[in-house]
Amino acid sequence: MRKDRKKIRTLFFISFAFCFFLLTSLPVSAEEKYTFDISETEKKPYSFGGHAEFRPVLFGLDRDTSLYKLRFYNRDEGSAIEELNAKLQLEGSLEKGIARVFIRMNMDYKLSYLGEDHEAAIYEGFLSLKPSSSLTIDMGKKILKWGKGYAWNPAAFVDRPKDPEDTELSLEGFIVASADYIKSFNSHLKTVSFTPVVIPVYENVNDDFGKLNNLNFAGKLYFLLFDTDIDLIALAGDSKTARFGADFSRNITTSFEVHGEFAFINDYKKKFIDSNGNIFEKEYDAKSYLIGARYLTQKDTTYILEYYHNGTGFTAEEMRDYFSFIDKGYNTYLLSGSDALLKKALNITEGNYGKANSMRDYLYLRVSQKEPFDILYFTPSITSIFNMNDNSFSISPELLYTGITNIELRLKASFIYGERLSEYGEKQNDYRIEFLIRYYFGI
Amino acid sequence: MLKIIGLILTLIIVAPVYAIDGTALLKQVDRNLNPESYESYRKLINIEPDGRKKEYTLFTVKKGVDKVVSLFLTPASEKGRSTLRLGDNMWLYIPNVAKPIRITSIQSVVGGVFNNADILQLDYAAEYNVEKVDETGGEYLLFLKAKTKAVAYDRLKIWADKAKKLPTKIECLTEANMLIKTLYFKDIKDFGSGLARPAVIETDSPLYKGYKSVMIFAKVKERDFKDEVFTLTFMPNIESLR
Repeated sequence: MRKDRKKIRTLFFISFAFCFFLLTSLPVSAEEKYTFDISETEKKPYSFGGHAEFRPVLFGLDRDTSLYKLRFYNRDEGSAIEELNAKLQLEGSLEKGIARVFIRMNMDYKLSYLGEDHEAAIYEGFLSLKPSSSLTIDMGKKILKWGKGYAWNPAAFVDRPKDPEDTELSLEGFIVASADYIKSFNSHLKTVSFTPVVIPVYENVNDDFGKLNNLNFAGKLYFLLFDTDIDLIALAGDSKTARFGADFSRNITTSFEVHGEFAFINDYKKKFIDSNGNIFEKEYDAKSYLIGARYLTQKDTTYILEYYHNGTGFTAEEMRDYFSFIDKGYNTYLLSGSDALLKKALNITEGNYGKANSMRDYLYLRVSQKEPFDILYFTPSITSIFNMNDNSFSISPELLYTGITNIELRLKASFIYGERLSEYGEKQNDYRIEFLIRYYFGI
Repeated sequence: MLKIIGLILTLIIVAPVYAIDGTALLKQVDRNLNPESYESYRKLINIEPDGRKKEYTLFTVKKGVDKVVSLFLTPASEKGRSTLRLGDNMWLYIPNVAKPIRITSIQSVVGGVFNNADILQLDYAAEYNVEKVDETGGEYLLFLKAKTKAVAYDRLKIWADKAKKLPTKIECLTEANMLIKTLYFKDIKDFGSGLARPAVIETDSPLYKGYKSVMIFAKVKERDFKDEVFTLTFMPNIESLR
């Protein structure tokens, strides 16, 4: 373990030194005549590209919190832990006539206090047929990206949930057969498109989507009506209970956009635990919704504000019971050495209490300033997620620089605040600081 | 008396011949710049005060007065991004990240002096009314006023070559006549099929002192597209038009 820490610190140092070298050795070219090499515009039947990234992270631990006790009850990692993440994402395509094959692969490497870990997955891989500009048919693994919210998408029934702390993270798709049929009009109704989707769920095929051995059907009907994007969404099949959704987005003025999303989940089953460790299941029709706005000022400051009601989420009382049970499990472990209760708590955390923003009502605010002080490609921003049920919140300042062709540099910190037994108050970290360097390449 | 009446009649008859129809002139300038429906390739170069550059290559298609879509071909970090404009509506699609999001004309998806309205330029006559036309030597000077508040610049002053009816310089102004940026049209090139237009547009701005952005055109040619190409659903497939 000591060896791992030394390795992480060495890699931290190397990545910072590399970035310092990059920023101080940028080429400066003299004035020259502008050229446009026409060969750059020639289309090739194939493409290959992707990105590689290094992301060292420093976590400041809060040893009094429930989630710290749950994960570190049998180990002492001090007051801070380092982690080094690396990612390689490769994508390629081949096109002939109306057919195109596309693949995106993702490889993750993590070096942390738990040692080394790596994972590889095909995020997308599908065949696309385009018999006309009105019709596209896709078969294979793909992401559908439904919904209009920036931080949350309750109506994205056929996508994996995105991380509201990092909304631009690419996600793994599901294996589907889908089509897009588009029709345009010269009236207030400018566009109608229909996207039917078939989602098979069998062993080794989308087996994390829902119940196995079912064929599921989803659909999205899109309208551009009176300059407003409107989607109607549905999912039916036996892998999940039926669900319906709708969303919209519209520019009220050139610099002020509003959007919203609604989802209705029939017979949603919620599993929760009381402070004594009794597990209950409750079935009800869940309604989730989101309303948001985006405003751009004359000085290029962008504000994004969203309110999200998560109908599938836990109440403040249910969350307090869960944290109280972890504390009880930890006390039992200290007294008897038995971690049975903590293991039970760990079990109900995965995919349940452990989901991002697993409570009821949230506010999201992001303020970003484009190119302040005339520094081109530099965007500082600050993001906050506020839990309205227990008044806990996170606040994340971020500096982004994209001035070097194909290189992205990002420094981000996250600080969390909250009372004991609140969502953010019981997280294992007090703060998190991460640095990202990403290099894009392609032919 | 007869002489005076004759003079007045002559003036009434002759005057309309010499008055410049600003709207027709602006439409002519638009057509001389681009066919109404076309495809083109462009290179955008942002140049910083110390000479540092960042370049982007785009494939652009336009149809009619209010439909434009652009696809980024390079650099690798931007490849596959597309921007769509349908009248006053604009969207940005980023391939592996998220669904299309609405953007505004005054933002810039590339940074630098060009904003989204410059990159997804519609016909000037579609967005502006001509208030006045002056003649200065070998040039017309057209004073334009935006038709709606949704347009990126409230006023434009266009200097156009009298013989070629092509712009040489455009000043983009606020409602209070404050200069936002100046576009310089250079290097007239024959793109074939009777289209000879400036191949280079340079821009600078008092708001970005020392910075400059350049747009270079290639392979501008007339081509018709189906309306369905200019939709949110088609944005991931723009590459198939090349």
